[in-house]
Amino acid sequence: MKTDDLIAQLAHEPAAASLGLPRVAAGFLAAVTVPVAAFLLIAGVRAGLGEVMIHPVTLMKTLLPALTAAFALTGVLRLMRPEGQVGLLMAALAIPLLGGIGLLLYTVATMPPAQWFAQWTVLGIIECTGLTLMLSAVPAIAAVRLFRRGASPAPQRSAMLAGIAAGAAASTGYSFFCTQDNPMFFVIWYGASIATVTLVTLHYGRKQFAW
Amino acid sequence: MQETEEIWAGWMRAALAGDGQAYARFLRAVTPVLRGIVRARARWMSGDDQEDIVQEVLLAIHRKRDTWSPDRPIRPWLFAVTRHKVIDAFRKRGGEATQPLGDQAEQVVDPHAEAHLQAQEASEELDALIGTLDPEAAELVRALKLREESPESVARAMSISEGALRVRLHRAMKRLEQIGRSGLP
Repeated sequence: MKTDDLIAQLAHEPAAASLGLPRVAAGFLAAVTVPVAAFLLIAGVRAGLGEVMIHPVTLMKTLLPALTAAFALTGVLRLMRPEGQVGLLMAALAIPLLGGIGLLLYTVATMPPAQWFAQWTVLGIIECTGLTLMLSAVPAIAAVRLFRRGASPAPQRSAMLAGIAAGAAASTGYSFFCTQDNPMFFVIWYGASIATVTLVTLHYGRKQFAW
Repeated sequence: MQETEEIWAGWMRAALAGDGQAYARFLRAVTPVLRGIVRARARWMSGDDQEDIVQEVLLAIHRKRDTWSPDRPIRPWLFAVTRHKVIDAFRKRGGEATQPLGDQAEQVVDPHAEAHLQAQEASEELDALIGTLDPEAAELVRALKLREESPESVARAMSISEGALRVRLHRAMKRLEQIGRSGLP
């Protein structure tokens, strides 16, 4: 086909509405909120949530994944435009990561060694990782479906950020139910869940972001 | 460059609002630029292969046109789509033909070469627009706006006064603006 004919053909196709990033973001947040809200309605939030959240370490259990999700979501949204750049946001993701490492060091410094892994029970680990992964499924699928509509200049990075956003957002929701307040537990097992969701999304999603 | 930015963005805005003619104008206006980019980076390819890549880029622009936001400049968007698709096309062809990309691949990802090529493309594109003027007006615009010669020397070379030079330049710029609005012939 000649290029002029191709142009004539393309010009006759229906117009495309401009991609609304706020609408995409709202779609993703809905995909996070619905399963998390349904879970919390069924299972309930932990007893005395308001009181324990005053404690800075417990607050970090919610704040760190929320911050991670916010940075990753902003990054993947920015990468929906082909000229989008996320250099600073990628660096910003180190903030919650360093916060987590800081909490681990704080635990080592302030707790006796016998208490470091006191909450590491098989049931606790399975409950935490299992529920977090379960809550991440819908957001991860929605993230791939929503964000692939863009034109990412770095498809793999987009898939990775979509996974981080889904896993971290689900962990944030799960933290309202979770009673394990020892950073040695939540930093490591929330981190493991987020990493798992990220790797799975990266593996299955990267081709979806190609264009 | 500012003129083409506004003209292209105007056409694309109209295209997103459903104006097929404006969209065709936009695609026709950017095609020589895309061709220039592909030719500069794929001299080792045949003309047909180069044109195939140009068409792939046009298709990508079409499929992803909704990712351009009307309140943002269009050139960075256009060059980002082009860069992505050209690299993609090289990868595909490199894989198929097992032909190493060598310097071409480095040139594609080298930001300095990228900036140089963009400047060159913009200059070629502007030159095509100026070429639609009558030869005297075109030379006047080239001398004053592209080569940045002094008005005194240009007026002397054209054997006219500086006042007359200003009037002719003003007319030429107005004409360019009209051509930009109505589309390249």
